Amino acid sequence: MDSFWGNIFRPRQKKEDPIITCLKRIPIFENLNRRELEALERIIHERVYKPGEVIFHQGDAGVGMYIIEKGVVQIIYEPTNQLLAELTDGEFFGELALLDESPRSATALAKTECKMLGFFQSDLFGLLERDPRLGVKIVLELARIIGERLKHSNEQISRLREEVKQLKERLGEGDEQTGTTVA
Amino acid sequence: MSRQAQQWLKLFLFIAAATLLVIFLVSIGELVRLMIIAALLAYILEPLASFLESRGMSRTAATSIIFSGILLLTVIFVLLFLPLVTAEVHSIQRGVKSGQAEVVIRNLETVLEDKLGFLGVQNLNLMDRIHQASVEFGNKLFNYLLNIVSLVTNLVIIPFIIFFLLKDGREMKKNLVRLVPNRFFEFTLNLLHKMDQQLGNYLRGQFLDALLVGLLSITALWILDVKFFVLIGAFAGLANLIPYVGPIAGAVPAIAIAIMQSGDFTLAVYIALAFAIVQLIDNTLIQPLVVAKTVNMHPLVVMSVVIIGGKFFGILGMLLSVPATGVIKVVVQESITNFRKYRFT
Repeated sequence: MDSFWGNIFRPRQKKEDPIITCLKRIPIFENLNRRELEALERIIHERVYKPGEVIFHQGDAGVGMYIIEKGVVQIIYEPTNQLLAELTDGEFFGELALLDESPRSATALAKTECKMLGFFQSDLFGLLERDPRLGVKIVLELARIIGERLKHSNEQISRLREEVKQLKERLGEGDEQTGTTVA
Repeated sequence: MSRQAQQWLKLFLFIAAATLLVIFLVSIGELVRLMIIAALLAYILEPLASFLESRGMSRTAATSIIFSGILLLTVIFVLLFLPLVTAEVHSIQRGVKSGQAEVVIRNLETVLEDKLGFLGVQNLNLMDRIHQASVEFGNKLFNYLLNIVSLVTNLVIIPFIIFFLLKDGREMKKNLVRLVPNRFFEFTLNLLHKMDQQLGNYLRGQFLDALLVGLLSITALWILDVKFFVLIGAFAGLANLIPYVGPIAGAVPAIAIAIMQSGDFTLAVYIALAFAIVQLIDNTLIQPLVVAKTVNMHPLVVMSVVIIGGKFFGILGMLLSVPATGVIKVVVQESITNFRKYRFT
């Protein structure tokens, strides 16, 4: 009998849309509520890439960001084919292209079959017009993340400067001992 | 099969598919015409729907409100202006029948033949031509009204298409983009965005410009106490949508009708002056403000495409020739610029 009533009053489990689940994990969208995430889902483009397929090339005009729903993406610096990063489920790239159309700074290549979500500049601008509240929320979050990265980059540059300085000092000491000069 | 043979086969299949598509579209020409008109109106109304959405409404609610507004305006327009327009048409008929107009037109004909004889202006037979044109127009109008099924279908289908394009247009565009192969995906998105930027402003600007010119013309003709001010003014506004040719085409019937109605040239001169002032206001005040000069084309190109559009597709062709050329221009420019950038080679 208990199981009968239990079945009737069991809260209905709403099956969550995988796209919404994926969006929620992205820092840019983590503060959005369900209605806002649904509005975002309506303008997101779903794409599937085969292994080895190029998502975009270095130097292409940037039009927006990609979120990896499933799969592995390699970010490659082209002239040297140097692997800069390997990104996987829930990670994103190309977010700077949401703000400007400057050329892509690296190539993105699908390593495995990839299910991707694309969020593009034109759609973000449209959203800012139609739903300024939501648009501003996304842009502010984007600015926060870019600001954090800038801070991180500055720290890295300071650290590298310090290391270069120390290396120069050490080399200078060595030069004095060996009597050679460094250009 | 060799790689070259494969490429030729692909090209052949593409051309065959494109030809079939063109044949199909031509065979359903009437529906395509309705779709184009509806799509244009939906495109013009889009910012209004977006504005209502930005005020917290859902897309469906915004679309419904716009439709209710249009319906209300149509009802008000019909109730207010239909009796006026009917009276005006009757007045034109009386003017023609009274014979006063005939005398003036015969005088005009003599003057034109005397002064412009060296240009080959002879045997104008203006009265016969006007009479023939009015009979033809009357017959056409009568046939059109008789074909009530077609009229009702158009009146139902166009708003129906506009409603769904306005409500679901974004979703439709997204689903179309979904069909584009990955290789051309970013290029297509970029192209659509650029086309929207160029055309959206142009079309909306032209529409607003036509509306304002129409209202100004109606006001000017009302001040001049011209009996057919609503009809002539509305026609002038609509004609203004056609670049260069439109303003003249809008004024000519007004002047001709004034001669027929009043029987002398004084009113015609005032009307010509009023239209000149409206054009001056349009060119110096309205156009710089509302019409974005995004479809940047040489006047000679504009004239040529208007003539070509009119030759092949009539009035609709003349109206759409400039924006259609704008689309082709953007597609060609973007394709050339991005051909190597997106590595299509």
